[in-house]
Amino acid sequence: MSERPEVAVAGGATTRFGVRAATWSELVQEAGRRLFEAIPELRAEEVDSLFVGAAEPERFAFQSHVAPLAAELLGLKPRRILQRTELACASGQSAIRSAYAAIAAGLSDVAVALGVEKMNLPSMAEANTSMACVMDRPWDGAHGATAPPFFAMVAQRHMREFGTTEEALAAVSEKNHRFANSNPDAQFHAKSFSREKLRGLPLVAPPLRLGDCSSMTDGAAAVLVVRGDLARKYTSNPAWIRGTGQYSDWHNLANAGDLTDWVGLRQAGREAFRSAGIGPADLDFAELHDCFSISEIVAGEALGFCPAGQGGAYALDGKSSLGGEIVVNPRGGLLGCGHPLGATGIAQAVEVYRQFAAEVPPERQVPDPEWALVHNLSGSANVHSLMVYQRGG
Amino acid sequence: MAPPTTPAAEAPAVTARPRAAPATPSSPAPIPTLLDFHPLEDPRFTEIAAFFDHLRAGRFSTTRCRRDGRLLWPPRTVCPECHRSELEWVDLPRHGRIYAFSAVLAGAPLGMEEAVPFAVGLVDLDGVPLRLFGRIEGRPWTELAIGAEVNVEGFDLPDGRIFYRFRARPASPGAPG
Ligand SMILES: [Zn+2]
Repeated sequence: MSERPEVAVAGGATTRFGVRAATWSELVQEAGRRLFEAIPELRAEEVDSLFVGAAEPERFAFQSHVAPLAAELLGLKPRRILQRTELACASGQSAIRSAYAAIAAGLSDVAVALGVEKMNLPSMAEANTSMACVMDRPWDGAHGATAPPFFAMVAQRHMREFGTTEEALAAVSEKNHRFANSNPDAQFHAKSFSREKLRGLPLVAPPLRLGDCSSMTDGAAAVLVVRGDLARKYTSNPAWIRGTGQYSDWHNLANAGDLTDWVGLRQAGREAFRSAGIGPADLDFAELHDCFSISEIVAGEALGFCPAGQGGAYALDGKSSLGGEIVVNPRGGLLGCGHPLGATGIAQAVEVYRQFAAEVPPERQVPDPEWALVHNLSGSANVHSLMVYQRGG
Repeated sequence: MAPPTTPAAEAPAVTARPRAAPATPSSPAPIPTLLDFHPLEDPRFTEIAAFFDHLRAGRFSTTRCRRDGRLLWPPRTVCPECHRSELEWVDLPRHGRIYAFSAVLAGAPLGMEEAVPFAVGLVDLDGVPLRLFGRIEGRPWTELAIGAEVNVEGFDLPDGRIFYRFRARPASPGAPG
């Protein structure tokens, strides 16, 4: 049996995230330009495969068959695998996972994983309708189910069962917005949010306030994923993919079970840590899917960063900040950077690469990191996707 | 694989649908945008049209597997446990208690903007292992509580279709808030 090749992320880039005067195609072009700027050794003809993470281009951009469109915009002619990956909020990570699987299987050597979403439309009710379609549309979406009221119910139950406070939610949001201030591509770059200010913002879906919710964001990001023995042609700091995990156990909200115990994430976490041969205590930092402040709290508990019910205290005590235990969301998170669905998972991988390469500003540089975890949930936290990275020695 | 049998074994035969003279209160906030392009309740487009016939007749129902007794929500045509189509319609309790709730104060989808603010919640139906999501009418979200009692009701959409929602019990006279 031949040995499975190692796989590395050999660089990447993101566009500026925010409310952009740019179309879906223009965001893809910007991500492509920045990718080739970030990896000067990369030649388009070396890329044999392209994976495009895009959640709802049919609704947001009225465009199907987007993988060949993205290939044309990037000047790529994929000759081995070309495909779009769709897993709602985890569509970007799905692109990386697919590239990883293809390379590990010997079906690709040099792949680009690109993620993109154009979410700000002239009618935001139209955009919100797209978000309701992520749910079981005719049964849950038709009642007005979108992400904010669902995660609001998670927060309500967490408060009732564990005494989690609005101050703890604000602590998560304040930290991630603070990190976003050192990230010029973040939607909320150069905006300050104290806990007091966050707790004064309007309610969106009680108990969640505006600052507890990630935004509708336009953005794109791309990474180069390569067979291990090719990595050093492109970088001296490869980020090795060492493990993955994923779990999906329901879709209709009737099957959600206990809102505060994310069984699927515990399952995915076991597999991710097992496959990487590490445990949560080995992590130096984690990019958790803080689509809402409460999500970071519950995710940290399910991944074993702290005991069940202690996720609020973990943030309040600074254990998820620099100088704490496991730094969570140094990029600025979805709360600080915005959440262009297809781009988010890729942008998190770009942060892992840059942290390992010590390319980020000191305000968010995790000291000498070796292990990082990336988490995306999708939909109503009914699917969890994880990747474990190790810094190249 | 055999084609799915119509699970409407115990349902009355589909008859002409009353499209006028709503027997239930009509919605102050129509929500058809997020219903199907093909109306889900129309037997030309779906095998579970009986759900809506039942709703019109005052019954709240779903399918149950005859082989393993599994209660399926939403109504299905194949049991995901045994992968057979030996399903039957059963009536569900029309009363339950709120497990969790919130409200949409901003960011509503098309067709729901004028209803803002509106309450939504997960409700444990009495006596069955079903926790359903839905709109909660009857009281503002500020007056709802975990454990509060709600009823399930059908309501007519302006285009003649019918849907369901929860209605919170009105405040008892003299009770605070
Ligand atoms: Zn069955």
